[in-house]
Amino acid sequence: METVLETKNITMKFGGLVAVDNFSMKLGKSDLVGIIGPNGAGKTTIFNMITGIYKPTEGDILLANENIVGKHVALITQKGIARTFQNIRLFKDLTVLDNIRIAGHYRTDYGLMANILRTKKFHQEEKRLKAEAIELLKIFKLDGKLNHLAKNLPYGEQRRLEIARALATKPDVLLLDEPAAGMNPNETADLTKLIRWVRDEFKIAILLIEHDMRLVMEVCERIYVVDHGELIAKGNPEEVQKNPKVIEAYLGTQDEKEGKE
Amino acid sequence: MEYFSHLLLNSGIFIILSVSLNLINGICGQFSLGHAGFWAVGAYTGAAYGVYLAPDFLPDFVNLFISCGIGFLTAALAGVLIGVPCLRLRGDYLAIATLGFGEIIRIIIMNMDTVGGPRGFTNIPLWSNLFWVYAWVAITILVIANILRGTHGRAIISIREDEIAADSMGIYTFKYKTMAFVLGAGFAGLAGSLFAHANQFLHPNGFTFMWSVIILLMIILGGLGSITGSIVGAVILTFLPEMLRFMGETISEWRMVIYAVLLILLMLMKPTGIFGKHEFNVLSFLAKFTGKKKEII
Ligand SMILES: Nc1ncnc2c1ncn2[C@@H]1O[C@H](COP(=O)(O)OP(=O)(O)OP(=O)(O)O)[C@@H](O)[C@H]1O
Ligand SMILES: [Mg+2]
Repeated sequence: METVLETKNITMKFGGLVAVDNFSMKLGKSDLVGIIGPNGAGKTTIFNMITGIYKPTEGDILLANENIVGKHVALITQKGIARTFQNIRLFKDLTVLDNIRIAGHYRTDYGLMANILRTKKFHQEEKRLKAEAIELLKIFKLDGKLNHLAKNLPYGEQRRLEIARALATKPDVLLLDEPAAGMNPNETADLTKLIRWVRDEFKIAILLIEHDMRLVMEVCERIYVVDHGELIAKGNPEEVQKNPKVIEAYLGTQDEKEGKE
Repeated sequence: MEYFSHLLLNSGIFIILSVSLNLINGICGQFSLGHAGFWAVGAYTGAAYGVYLAPDFLPDFVNLFISCGIGFLTAALAGVLIGVPCLRLRGDYLAIATLGFGEIIRIIIMNMDTVGGPRGFTNIPLWSNLFWVYAWVAITILVIANILRGTHGRAIISIREDEIAADSMGIYTFKYKTMAFVLGAGFAGLAGSLFAHANQFLHPNGFTFMWSVIILLMIILGGLGSITGSIVGAVILTFLPEMLRFMGETISEWRMVIYAVLLILLMLMKPTGIFGKHEFNVLSFLAKFTGKKKEII
């Protein structure tokens, strides 16, 4: 299996707090892999390191065998890693169409002067950009809402739009941070299908953080479990579910969770 | 009549200033308080060209064109010098740095004898007229509106919407912040040159921090992010003080207080400004009557 993304012993310290400790993982071409773990385990921090928002205190991150540690967030996206955010970060006051077109920006091939002067190249590229956006939005059943503002979409559609926007950057690796958060069971069931379909259709690797265990167990081929920044287990869904360390980690936080809710 | 055309000319100059500041503050979301500084740079360099360098054999409008070009470029250069170090900083730092920049420019001019220093810069040739001012207004609006409806403009807007998300979409946000900032500064410089050749006299105290605030008020009044709003805001705030003047000396002296009250009222009734982020678009306006919906790019 060809590896597209690999993290080698990445560690992230915030002052005295070790948010992620020596985390290593591999993601093969068109793998569908999950990262699970209790609240505050360091899952999102792993995503932030992979996408360049945080620079790991230690360790390497290889994208197609190239070390991307220290590279600009935008460049990492251009090289093929796209993501969604735990707390949806759409361009709220812009239309659905514009959200997607912005993701196509770096592949748009006309200069500022061509833009100001409205050259032929400008019109060609804008036409392509729009056509591609509509095609993508059709898949996500959002093509009927091209000119709706992102903030006016229902919650589930905002989540879908965010995935579509990530895909519009034409990634090789897609990182989804709790895509089912806040969805009802019906929406989650649709999302489960969608995620699998996206992987098969776009032939990309997907790395997924999720608290919804049914979704994770159903869709992921392999799972990494982190707790307090450390990798405590990995394997296929059955293996992970049976792992005593995992059970302990989840039971251990069960009381806290109940206390919170 | 002459009084009225002078006002109209001023409002044109302020339209360029407000639309260009709107590109930085309203559209790109970077809080700049130094617009009067860029305006001053363009005014003084444009005027210096008129006083010292302009060849007499060129027709006035050509000289005005060159002067505007110089005003644009020097102010844009100042924009690069101040923007590149400061745009990496977030939020308030930029506001403070640009505020400082505006005052520094004023003090530098104050100490430059070749441009009159504290006595003011006199004998600037009268080249601006209503036609050319509004030609430049049209060009400014067209250029900025075109940029906005293309990929560069969308990149600039995405920074205002969510910088981290913009980065994560493969956009070099720093590059586009700088683009918006430098273009905004450049157009302010252009307005400066037009202003110099309309007034024929410049004084450093005509470019105080107060003016940066007034231009900011214009775009807030009209609605941050809306070009149409900036235009309306500029027109209102150039004509309003004159109307107050007619109402008598005391009222005129209370000008800034009246602005403040107006602004508070506006913020209470319509916090997003007159136009919000919307644009008045002739096509979509007409469409309201024809029932057809014409799609805007
Ligand atoms: N920028 C930061 N500065 C300081 N501490 C941080 C920062 N980002 C994350 N942390 C800390 O790192 C730890 C891991 O956070 P992270 O967001 O990665 O957890 P998570 O596994 O995604 O949790 P959740 O399931 O709640 O989203 C937490 O203790 C958090 O407070
Ligand atoms: Mg998280």
